[in-house]
Amino acid sequence: MRDFLQILLVGIGDGAVYAMLGLGLVVIYRSTGLLNFAQGEMAMFSTFIVWTMWSIGLPMWLAILAGMAGGFGVGALVHQVAVRPVGDPHEKPLAVVIVTIGLFLGVNGAAQLIWGTLDRSLPPLFGRGQVTVFGVAVAWQKIGAVIALSVMVLLFYLLFQHTKLGLAMRAVASNSESASLVGIPVPRLLMLGWGLAAAVGTVAGVFIAPNLGLGTNLMQLTLIFGFAAITLGGFDSLVGAVVGGFVVGALSSVMPRYITIFEKMPLAPAFILILAVLLFRPEGLFGKKQVTRV
Amino acid sequence: MSSASVLGQQARRTPRAWVLKVVPWAVVFVVLAIVPFEFPSFRVEQFCFWMTLAIAACGLNLLTGYNGQISVGHGALFGIGAYTTGILITEFSVPLFAASVAAAVVCFFFGLLIGLPALRIKGLYLALVTLAVATLFPLILEQFSSITGGSGGLQITSPQTYRGELRERPIRLESPFAGLANDQWKYFLFLGVTVVVFVLSRNLIKSRVGRALVAVRDNEVAAESSGIPISRVKILTFGLSAAIAGIGGSLFALNQGQLYPSSFTIVLSIYILVAVVVGGAASIVGPAIGAIFYGLFSDVIIQQLPDRIQPARAVILGVLLILLMLLAPGGVVGGFRSLQAKWVAQKNFRRARS
Amino acid sequence: MRKTSVQISAALLLGLALIGGACGGRNDSSSAKSTETTASDSKEVAFIDPAADCTDYKGTQGVTGDTIKIGTVRPESGSYAIYDNVTKGLDAYFKSANASGGLTAKDGKKYQIELIKKNDEYDPAKTPALVKQLVEQDGVFALVGNIGTETNKSVRDYLNENCVPNIALATGSTQWGDANAYPWYISGLPSYATEANAWVSYLKEVNPTAKIALLYQDDDFGQSYKAAIEKAIKGTKITLVAKEGFNPLAGSTTEASVTKLSQSGADTFIVGVGGTACPLTLSFVPATWTPMTMISVTCGSKTALSLASGKDEGVYMAQPTLDPADPADQSNPKVIEFATQGAAAGLDESAIQGGIASVGWGFGALFAEGLKNASTVDRAAVMNALYSLNDTTFGLLRDEVTVNTDGAKDPWAIEGFRIVQRENGAWVEKAPVTNEEGKSNSFAGN
Repeated sequence: MRDFLQILLVGIGDGAVYAMLGLGLVVIYRSTGLLNFAQGEMAMFSTFIVWTMWSIGLPMWLAILAGMAGGFGVGALVHQVAVRPVGDPHEKPLAVVIVTIGLFLGVNGAAQLIWGTLDRSLPPLFGRGQVTVFGVAVAWQKIGAVIALSVMVLLFYLLFQHTKLGLAMRAVASNSESASLVGIPVPRLLMLGWGLAAAVGTVAGVFIAPNLGLGTNLMQLTLIFGFAAITLGGFDSLVGAVVGGFVVGALSSVMPRYITIFEKMPLAPAFILILAVLLFRPEGLFGKKQVTRV
Repeated sequence: MSSASVLGQQARRTPRAWVLKVVPWAVVFVVLAIVPFEFPSFRVEQFCFWMTLAIAACGLNLLTGYNGQISVGHGALFGIGAYTTGILITEFSVPLFAASVAAAVVCFFFGLLIGLPALRIKGLYLALVTLAVATLFPLILEQFSSITGGSGGLQITSPQTYRGELRERPIRLESPFAGLANDQWKYFLFLGVTVVVFVLSRNLIKSRVGRALVAVRDNEVAAESSGIPISRVKILTFGLSAAIAGIGGSLFALNQGQLYPSSFTIVLSIYILVAVVVGGAASIVGPAIGAIFYGLFSDVIIQQLPDRIQPARAVILGVLLILLMLLAPGGVVGGFRSLQAKWVAQKNFRRARS
Repeated sequence: MRKTSVQISAALLLGLALIGGACGGRNDSSSAKSTETTASDSKEVAFIDPAADCTDYKGTQGVTGDTIKIGTVRPESGSYAIYDNVTKGLDAYFKSANASGGLTAKDGKKYQIELIKKNDEYDPAKTPALVKQLVEQDGVFALVGNIGTETNKSVRDYLNENCVPNIALATGSTQWGDANAYPWYISGLPSYATEANAWVSYLKEVNPTAKIALLYQDDDFGQSYKAAIEKAIKGTKITLVAKEGFNPLAGSTTEASVTKLSQSGADTFIVGVGGTACPLTLSFVPATWTPMTMISVTCGSKTALSLASGKDEGVYMAQPTLDPADPADQSNPKVIEFATQGAAAGLDESAIQGGIASVGWGFGALFAEGLKNASTVDRAAVMNALYSLNDTTFGLLRDEVTVNTDGAKDPWAIEGFRIVQRENGAWVEKAPVTNEEGKSNSFAGN
């Protein structure tokens, strides 16, 4: 039982990170209507910025803020230059897929060019210590991830529900045509959305890097977990991203341990989840049902 | 009828135009025939690899270009073809080309399998699912390492006598002709298969079935109301597309003699899709052009750069893809067609003015 | 009309391909079969007879005038890039030799060495194309100091069939012991089986009822260790209570595996992984678990252990070489020579002390040994010389380690280790050097 509890808690800690990626994915989906396959690479890129800031002597928390700012810039730039000109994802899905794949390759390559291909080590924000919870040893870092997620969710809540900017962003997400008619600067807000998503991804990267080693392949598998989180939660639901993240984290930690066929494939439960949800309940747990007119 | 096609029809009738049509193909075939005699054997093997990519791209093109179903997972089907071939030859001593045919059949069924959920999952979401499949595939190879050899790789071997003993050694395609080296023979064999695959695809596209594919892509509802069984079309296209990718994978296995999961990551699926899109989706020669372009770019041009700058290849490719979608979404072939149309329109305009 | 331009463009594209890559040309049927064999020299074991063993033998490819071209493949990038330091050491050795006139052959002639390096990122899927390029396009005489077990395996048949030497492989996998089938390969490291046997021998002395938890790389590297350990503990009271496999190319860490092993009740932890995964593994060991930890030779350098977050203190290793970072070894003439000549050849302080470049330096020295003893500067002659080494030494091997080879009967150059324990960045001897001459193949499990 203790074993199971430990595995579960590890999974929840991981799930917090998937939820963070999920938040970014949801923001992008709500504002620009597409699935950003390059989300992981953008997060990796800004995590490298964090490392650079830290390695020149900035304290970790400041480095993270700097990385988030840098990531914000990258996200905004990427939207402006690559995403906006392509057009409506529902009309030209292949073009959008190719563009996000192009971003995936390009951002990854840029990171390799700038920082080389040697793995770097990023120290964990919450140290390597452990604390005993319910008789089980849990790493402080995992608890920290949940705390960081909670802070971000709170900030998002405040932004979207209690600020004019947030209101404008919600208007754009709901109906961008009407929003622009009312005078909301839609393109600028879309850019903001992408920047925000990239900034959130930075935090996810900061929590993953200490264990995996900071290399350019940091997010290649983790991205799929993030997508599983939002598929389960509903592509356009922030709450769904959080719930989905925890569920995916728990499943991906527990199932490979107890079902031998999944032993080397922690990704398998996530994949099955994606498939099952898309087939039987495409709007996920908290998403809005899509209705297509013939 | 557009002015270009009217001119095209007129052109077909004049001997000059006939020459213009046939000569480029003749040149292409002459060049293709000389190549294996001019390059060292490792280069020829590289060209063989490009051909396997071209075949996979041809398969993907049927599905994504002509039938509108986006797959970012054809690398996994390629890999299934490769590993099936390898396992059949090594474990079950199946003769080489029978193994290839079997691999194609296996992939066909996997394609049908993926095609079923694809009926309900479309566009970006299908891309997501196929992306997840492609990411999962190398992990599956490692999970079932007792069959696939896991990360240690699968050596495709057959019992051969070497240094006095019967040993399991990597397969080779022995050339039956004295003047033809093994790699040259392999090259022509692969070229033959590639040509057959492309010609058969072309015939399919130009037939009623091909038109049905396109109709389903352009407007499902309209297609259904004109009597096309869209579910059947979509699933069978997936199956066929997978089978062709599997043939590519099978030849890849025969070319390499050994298989590693690291050759079948999401990156491979991306490259196959890139080949289709860069060459020109929904065009017949597009996938071949895309595969050659990709091969030239990554194996020839980039190799000339110093090691430190190698990652620039991914950046250039990424930028290229984005620019392509913005400026020339029809790829190389599409770009030529629109330039062509402009040139013809200008010519007509000038002719009308004079 | 439309199609025509597409066809023209396709033709042009292919023409471009021709022009772009035409620099290679082919050289198969034109070169006559070389008749320079080595049978004449009486001192040498004619282990390889190219006239009998090779078709289209090119014994002196890569030797032009007074230059010999050598190729090497290593992971310059990726998570195993730490091993690029080996190649740096190899490069420094050749640079240093070149600066003093070159490497000397038996007849006294000196040869400059040109080293061509390729990067395969430790991925055996990439290695064949690069090795073929080195042999067919760059025309190297031999490969020296190639890194990686699976990577070297992926080209084993190609190189042996084409009779191209692969000298001083940076891997001690037990496969390289089959010199009858693959005589063109000779390893520059001790066999992992001999190393594992040294661990178990020491355990038999100090903890005869040891309970071992084993973390092993799930490829030939780790499996060599695992098989040898299982063979060595047969019939003893030592037991293997837990084992975890690890895939180096999967992009995950060993953390979960280490946690699992820490709960197995073992009192001995053997780390059969390489690259940076090894020191990271040490850093993952929870404070509640204090086993006797043994690490691989490939992990024991200052550079690698600096990544262990201090958890390298107290680990054990079977050590065949001198460590330039250990004050006890720094007065040894071999270390002094390496430090001075290495610095002159461009190695910086951290590379010299790092303990990885010195291994590559040793590989260069092994090649030099082969060249010096070969009857002529010819591929088979050099290999035959390397397979008949007699009471010699090379590189930074410990003074008590003996080097003897004898064709397929004893294909391993290094078979001696002492057991050491890590203390404050240096090594304390726990058991003196034991040389297991000729026994390496017998230690290999299955």
